[in-house]
Amino acid sequence: MQTSISVEQIRKDFPILSRMVRDNKPLVYLDNASTTQKPNQVIDTITDYYKNHNANIHRAVYALAEESTEAYEATRDKIVKFLNIKHREEVIFVRGTTEAINLVAYAWGRDNIMEGDIIVTTEYEHHSNIVPWQLLTQEKKAKLEYIGTDDNGELLLDHLDKYLATGKVKLVAFSLMSNVLGTITDAKSIISKCRKAGVPILIDGAQAVPHIKVDIQSLDCDFFAFSAHKMLGPTGVGVLWVRKSVLETMSPFHGGGDMIREVHKYETTWNDLPYKFEAGTPNIADVVGFGAAIDYLEKIGMQTVRDHEVELTKYALDKMSKVKGIVIYGTKDISKRGGVISFNFHAVHPHDVAHIIDREGVAIRSGHHCAQVLMERMNVAATNRASFYIYNTKEDVDMLVKSLEKVSELFKL
Amino acid sequence: MSDPLYTEIIIDEAKHPRNHGKLEHPDISQHDANPMCGDSITLQINIKDNTISDIKWDGKGCTICTACTSVLTQLIKGKDIDYVKNLQKETILSELGLEHLIQQSPIRIKCALLSLKVLKLGLYTYLGNKLENKDYDNLKEEAASLY
Repeated sequence: MQTSISVEQIRKDFPILSRMVRDNKPLVYLDNASTTQKPNQVIDTITDYYKNHNANIHRAVYALAEESTEAYEATRDKIVKFLNIKHREEVIFVRGTTEAINLVAYAWGRDNIMEGDIIVTTEYEHHSNIVPWQLLTQEKKAKLEYIGTDDNGELLLDHLDKYLATGKVKLVAFSLMSNVLGTITDAKSIISKCRKAGVPILIDGAQAVPHIKVDIQSLDCDFFAFSAHKMLGPTGVGVLWVRKSVLETMSPFHGGGDMIREVHKYETTWNDLPYKFEAGTPNIADVVGFGAAIDYLEKIGMQTVRDHEVELTKYALDKMSKVKGIVIYGTKDISKRGGVISFNFHAVHPHDVAHIIDREGVAIRSGHHCAQVLMERMNVAATNRASFYIYNTKEDVDMLVKSLEKVSELFKL
Repeated sequence: MSDPLYTEIIIDEAKHPRNHGKLEHPDISQHDANPMCGDSITLQINIKDNTISDIKWDGKGCTICTACTSVLTQLIKGKDIDYVKNLQKETILSELGLEHLIQQSPIRIKCALLSLKVLKLGLYTYLGNKLENKDYDNLKEEAASLY
């Protein structure tokens, strides 16, 4: 890695990476697109929060409550800086990307999508960027359309032109990086088309934010969602960013504590942004822990993260393509691809592959990756997927390749 | 016994708040609440010859909130509109020796400045409507994010 911090140093911060699995095999963790491991800095921050600062936020005046509120709000400020966000009140804490997208579908979609309208998404979306729109369009008698993919796993943007030309598109929702193919979406082209047509844009940043530098102001979308646990942070925390002028028009999502200004028997006024959208006691400790994860990534630098993954992905694509009987999906153009490699063996089901290599200590994902629409397009039931992060090494890739060769041998491919 | 926050002057203002009550025909009537604690303040103001000719307040607040509201109403009664437009939060806080809240207590600062926020929101809404001047929308936004 081209940085002052070496991968060896980084690995020391992740206690789980030194454990053994199965028959005393060192763990090779390659399921980072699903969730990442957590460094001591994050684990210790959460422990310290519960040991020393735990109290509910935004209300009580005692010392602990002030400390917990400050720590919780500090993470919001870190996100603002990390993603170059204009207004801190545009940052809403939620449980994760899924909840963030559902919040938009409910609180914005119900007021803005009407009968006959069209919502456009893409064939390579995660179910969390498909199902909420299915629910909404079914309820409103609107239509859901898809930007298709080519055989390389890149989007066919002329499909978008066709839908925009109808004048009925009210939202375009797409992922900044495919969780299956690793394709980095050409967001610039999509957004400029949408802006010309005056159509709002939602971006699922769950796969992109952990791996590439994202600048929300220069992206110029309207909604942006991502999760903490895919970027070294805890599970159960995510962020929805909404452009302020849009957020100000939105109805609440959940009703309850903390999102109110005044409650009377039959009417209620709402709290200021973003608290209007943060009903109930939030996941305080994990939001605080998420702050430590952002600090950790900032220290390494997102360009360094990206450079490391490019190097590993190139190395892996080269080595893996030599394994007998393997089919690798997605673009070969590394500039358009994140550290995610989906692959199959002609004659072996992914679950068998994952099982066999698990016995060697290699953890990869097998299945449909919550992207069955894409599986259908690729004409497969499932794939294997290896995905990298800052703590992975070429030795990890070598272990993966060695274990995959065992699959080839076993099935005489 | 002396306390850095609950000084004699603050306790006196809170126990005997000035300008408490309601106006019969107010030119401005503005209400807002602090969602953190439930404090709520309504300010009523009469404007005559570009001057705050009368002001009353009503509502529920803690000692800090009540004392600051009381002091605020005394401070602006009889002053012209430009004075209120230029009124800074530091001025109110320094009247009661509360400048330290800005640094030390992000929660209590909201108690201290609720009435100033209500005042600015009310005045800018009034001026915006009267003069049909959209510039006041920005000022209202500024007032809403006072703390």
